[in-house]
Amino acid sequence: MNHTRARAIAAFASYCALPACASSAAVVVGSKNFTESIVIAELYALALERAGMRVLRRLNLGSTQITMAAMARGQIDIYPEYTGTALIDVLHHAPIRNPAQSYAYVRDVFARTYGITWLDRSPMNDSQGLATTQTIARRYHLRTLSDLAPIASRLRLATIPEFTTRPDGLPGLQRLYGGFHFASVRTYDISLKYEALLHGEADVATAFTTDGAIATEHLVVLKDDKHLWPAYNVAPLVRTPTLQRVPRIGPVLDALSPKITNAAAQAMNAQVESEDRDPADVAAAFLDTAS
Amino acid sequence: MNYLIEHPARVALLAGAHLALVAAALACALAIALPVGFALARSERASRAVLALLGALYTVPSLALLALLVQALGLGPAPIFVALVAYAQFVLVRNVLAGVHAVDPGQRDAAIGVGMSPLQRALRVELPQALPIVIGGVRIAGVAMIALATLGGYVGAGGLGSLIFMGFTLHHTDEIVAGSVAVCALAIALDAALRLAERLARAH
Amino acid sequence: MSGAAIRLSRVRARYPGAKQPAVDGVDLDLQPGEFVALVGASGSGKSTLLRTINRLVPIESGRIELDGSDVMELDPVTLRRGIGYAIQAVGLFAHMNVAQNVAVVPSLLRWDRTRIAERVDEMLELVRLDPLRYRYRRPSELSGGEAQRVGVARALAAEPRVLLMDEPFGALDAIVRRALQRELHGIVRAAETTTLFVTHDVREAQRLADRIVVMRDGRIEPPESEFARELFSDA
Repeated sequence: MNHTRARAIAAFASYCALPACASSAAVVVGSKNFTESIVIAELYALALERAGMRVLRRLNLGSTQITMAAMARGQIDIYPEYTGTALIDVLHHAPIRNPAQSYAYVRDVFARTYGITWLDRSPMNDSQGLATTQTIARRYHLRTLSDLAPIASRLRLATIPEFTTRPDGLPGLQRLYGGFHFASVRTYDISLKYEALLHGEADVATAFTTDGAIATEHLVVLKDDKHLWPAYNVAPLVRTPTLQRVPRIGPVLDALSPKITNAAAQAMNAQVESEDRDPADVAAAFLDTAS
Repeated sequence: MNYLIEHPARVALLAGAHLALVAAALACALAIALPVGFALARSERASRAVLALLGALYTVPSLALLALLVQALGLGPAPIFVALVAYAQFVLVRNVLAGVHAVDPGQRDAAIGVGMSPLQRALRVELPQALPIVIGGVRIAGVAMIALATLGGYVGAGGLGSLIFMGFTLHHTDEIVAGSVAVCALAIALDAALRLAERLARAH
Repeated sequence: MSGAAIRLSRVRARYPGAKQPAVDGVDLDLQPGEFVALVGASGSGKSTLLRTINRLVPIESGRIELDGSDVMELDPVTLRRGIGYAIQAVGLFAHMNVAQNVAVVPSLLRWDRTRIAERVDEMLELVRLDPLRYRYRRPSELSGGEAQRVGVARALAAEPRVLLMDEPFGALDAIVRRALQRELHGIVRAAETTTLFVTHDVREAQRLADRIVVMRDGRIEPPESEFARELFSDA
């Protein structure tokens, strides 16, 4: 059975899956609503399937709030989350600069408070950032965020709704760097982040540092010289009851995680977005070469 | 159009799921609208009040209603199913009312005269005669629901909406086009099928 | 089972918003099995009076009894199933065929299917409509006269104890009309059905009825009155 057929049937089955059904045998893998989240979720799902488990996919669900709610309801069992996001956005904790400490902290709190287990984290660091075009970077001499802070009032920002309210979003920038009062701030859906920038309707855009578009569109990501943004390492979140029911999830995903590096993530993201490839195919190709 | 050509089975499966969702919601909506419409037919004032209420419900932005329903019901087909049933009421109840009022008073009179109970009158005389107009309402509501159900892709309900929104997320125009074309095709097919049903009902 | 006795005492009925009552204090007794014709000009209240008996028109005051029971205390649905009702406008159900129309009341009374089928054929033959040709026709495919005949068949189908008829032969030509009058007369005699028959045709009344009652302006005219006598002298 080829991948497309399997995807199709899984998609249809996912449609029918209710929490009650999910607990009977299959493991449900979810994702947030951006390319990288979907690709990594596919990696997890494929790795589990290749290890003989039955997996249902419910991808492209929405923001962090939605995936956490879905976990709480038992509608998904696993999804990829970032240490920085969990720390700042979910737990509302101040940033922890040391990536290992940050990871340990969130793992501990999630286990106690949410009944969610953090499996091993990957080396990739998909940090938040601000990106601009090479032209604009040259014109205003922008290399770091400190360069941008004072002159933001001359520039237009394109961003996503989460960024305007997250403590580590625009408010965090304003507090740590000062300035950052853009001439205009317009929010877009997460998949349209770069459109405004590329079409000249914005000068700066919110970025995730592993976005494929950064490489393909030759964007400049400004250096976070004052270290507002801590590490955002991705790791599989698993509902603890599910992990107890299917302990093999742990070893399978722990074997996969070290292979997900920044370069790997950027490459896969670019393949999906610029080369129009199916996330499942890209993930499968990666697993084939990486094993 | 490449996606449609390369993945016809997948699109067909999603279209099937989409249609199943809409069909189920239509059936449920009709099961509510029929008794409500029949009950309202007795009172001009109650009809106006309820239709105003349903009209107000109809104008609530679908995304907002969906968000509220997801809070209550979680992700999956449930919130979109409820939203579809709710939105369909305005059209269906209005058409059931119109259908019942279109029944010749002489027919109603004769039904009373031969000794039918109110329920028997409704089932044996008024409903069969109101059927063409009721089916017309089902057609209008159904086509709207085919489109509305694409929002289900936003809340993990599957169907063609999930294809469209996935295309949106991944910047894959092909998938957006494929999903949209399939939705249009479904809507046209449903409209044609129900027009035929309407005509058959009228022939009686 | 023979016909019921019908007694109307000081019945008054008024249409909503009307200044004058359509039926203004009527006393009328029908013996079981009696055939009474109700004649009068249009607007005399005869049709309205007819419809108070099966509660299609509510009464303002007075009392109507069927075999001694106040009709207001009977379940209206059961009441109407026991009363055959045929009016000039007929009111055949447009979405049912002729057989289904005739079978309506027996089907409501849950007669078994064979009995219903036989009865339908019997009734159609009675009104001179060949069952083979008419069973599956739709009302829209019938002439005015054919529709009226089906209406009469429907009224008689369930062997009612009371028959209320309002110009049921209006659209029929003279020959068919005479034939049906004779058939009707024979049936209600044999079954002893109590019949109240509204007509403007005095001769038809004289042909069919045991007794003729004249109505004018919502009231019953005494038979010796000048109005009544003039009516009969023209006949």
